[in-house]
Amino acid sequence: MRAQLVRASALIVGAAVVAWPLGYFAAAWAGWALFSVGLVAQLLFQLRNFSRLERWSRDPVLDASLEGEGDWDNVFGRLYRHEKEMRGVIARRDAEIRMLISAAQALTDGVVLLDRHDNILFCNHTAEDQLGLRVAVDRGQAVVNLVRQPEFAAYLEGEDFSKPLTLRSERIKDLVLSIYVVPYAENNRLMQVKDVTQSERLDRMRRDFVANVSHELRTPLTVLGGFIETLQEIALDRDEQAHYLQLMGEQSKRMLTIVQDLLTLSSIEASPPPTYETVDMVTLLDKLRRDAEALSGGRHRVFLDSDGCGDLRGAEVELASAFGNLLSNAVRYTPSGGSIRICWRADAAGAEFAVEDSGIGIEPAHIPRLTERFYRVDRGRSRDVGGTGLGLAIVKHALSRHQARLDIRSEPGQGSRFAAVFPPSRVIGV
Amino acid sequence: MSDSQHLSSQFDEDLARLRTHVLQMGGLVETQVSAAIEAYTSGEVAVVKAIVDNDRKVNDLEKAIDDDCAHIIAKRQPAAYDLRLVLGISKIVTDLERAGDEAKKIAKGVQRIYENGHFPTQYGVGIRHIAEAALVMIRQSLDAFARRDVLQAQSVIKADKDVDVEFKSIIRQLITHMMEDPRTITTSIDIISIARAIERIGDHAKNVSEQVIFIVEGRDIRHLKEAAK
Repeated sequence: MRAQLVRASALIVGAAVVAWPLGYFAAAWAGWALFSVGLVAQLLFQLRNFSRLERWSRDPVLDASLEGEGDWDNVFGRLYRHEKEMRGVIARRDAEIRMLISAAQALTDGVVLLDRHDNILFCNHTAEDQLGLRVAVDRGQAVVNLVRQPEFAAYLEGEDFSKPLTLRSERIKDLVLSIYVVPYAENNRLMQVKDVTQSERLDRMRRDFVANVSHELRTPLTVLGGFIETLQEIALDRDEQAHYLQLMGEQSKRMLTIVQDLLTLSSIEASPPPTYETVDMVTLLDKLRRDAEALSGGRHRVFLDSDGCGDLRGAEVELASAFGNLLSNAVRYTPSGGSIRICWRADAAGAEFAVEDSGIGIEPAHIPRLTERFYRVDRGRSRDVGGTGLGLAIVKHALSRHQARLDIRSEPGQGSRFAAVFPPSRVIGV
Repeated sequence: MSDSQHLSSQFDEDLARLRTHVLQMGGLVETQVSAAIEAYTSGEVAVVKAIVDNDRKVNDLEKAIDDDCAHIIAKRQPAAYDLRLVLGISKIVTDLERAGDEAKKIAKGVQRIYENGHFPTQYGVGIRHIAEAALVMIRQSLDAFARRDVLQAQSVIKADKDVDVEFKSIIRQLITHMMEDPRTITTSIDIISIARAIERIGDHAKNVSEQVIFIVEGRDIRHLKEAAK
């Protein structure tokens, strides 16, 4: 700064030194005029540089436009370097922030950041989908304004986040979410949203299974126990005794069937995957038809629709049990006089074994759950016709071990069609 | 990610709280409606009592919010957007409360049907469809309110037409049923009242959306012909 001061003073003194002799020897006004011209020239020089700086500061760009003269150039140079450094820092920070955000976006769990008033600061795509948020418009909005279930608001207000909140999504059918809240940085909160639909479903199936097994076994046991007490305490004549014993026999047979089905199911689960032995379909289909007719006792018409072409490769016992179960279901749930059709089709694209009936049919809502163990469309109804509630579970298991899937189509009041669809690898002779 | 509270005055905070209360009430009504529909399809009569109990909460919220509106107008004398917001809210809560009442009516109708030993499932598909449409309308109208989203509000108003059309077709179907078999009349009448309640829920959602448009744009589009909207 001192150098500049000295230089400026020297220029002024220089102007004075040049102007003074002119004023002394010629006219005084001429001297003053020359001195002023010197000063104005200096002022203009500074102004020009100042206006450059002024123009640049409005829109600082990093190019050669910022060039000064004399001492100004040093100042401009420093400003230029500072600007350049700052831009570098900002660009690096931007890149870091972008990386953090894209990491948050990559999470398969939903993440929502909330400020101290539970307004949304940020949320990732997963959370947008899960909770129906749109971060572009919802930033700054209270999260409870958009996730409006009363239990969610109560959970956030409750301040007790030791256990996650399980929330059924209002926006997406059947979606179950688990919400964790973690405090971070002064008073902010991070909300982690997990999709637990699948594990909820498994939990429910396990609970249902235990409850159902107990229930299924308890009913015949209660009946049995009641009869035993009666026989012990009351003297009965021969006919009554025989009648009671017969009923007891039925109940114990029923329990036996249930336990047998359970054992079949667990043995199918436990045994090694089925081999590729040839199953002679012509013989099997004929046997199935005769079994169905025997079970029906003449109450239904049973048709076999097959061109006798193609055989299956797999475990005959399992396949026979699966097909037999489909047929006995058809016989049970078709009123007298109805018809049952067994279809067999095989070609290069695979094979299909189907059982069609003209029975009571199934509501669409039940179809996805039919193969769950002990799942009942109508509690009590299937017990009346002698079902154990395990038939379709066995079918599904046996089929999936043969890479086949069970295709169920049904119309209430019209009838049902259960089809086992096999891949080409399980079919020979076509 | 700036802290959003830095500029908000006490008044803005009051308004934000009021909005949140309205949406909380809306959330409760949504839950009520969806529980009532669930009861209809599943036949779980046990939830009916919970729905009836919760309706009291909806009523209390309506009163509390209306009170707050009156207080804000008296104390702060809001103008322009703020005034429209407060006026709109006091109408919105009335509609929400009525939608809650309709949910209660559905629940009670379901209870009557199942207690008489009937199953409404044979009409299930149509009713379920219209009910889900009405539920989506309520949800979207509240979203539109939360986001000040006029487009969303307009789409709700359009959706109300479809619900009305579907309602009429359900009624026609039920009339046919009743003429074919007079024994179904009791159940059918209950189902008609349920369908009517659902249709009314759609109407309330539409009214909420109209208020949203009034709040955001200052246009009152109630009772206008379609072209003018």
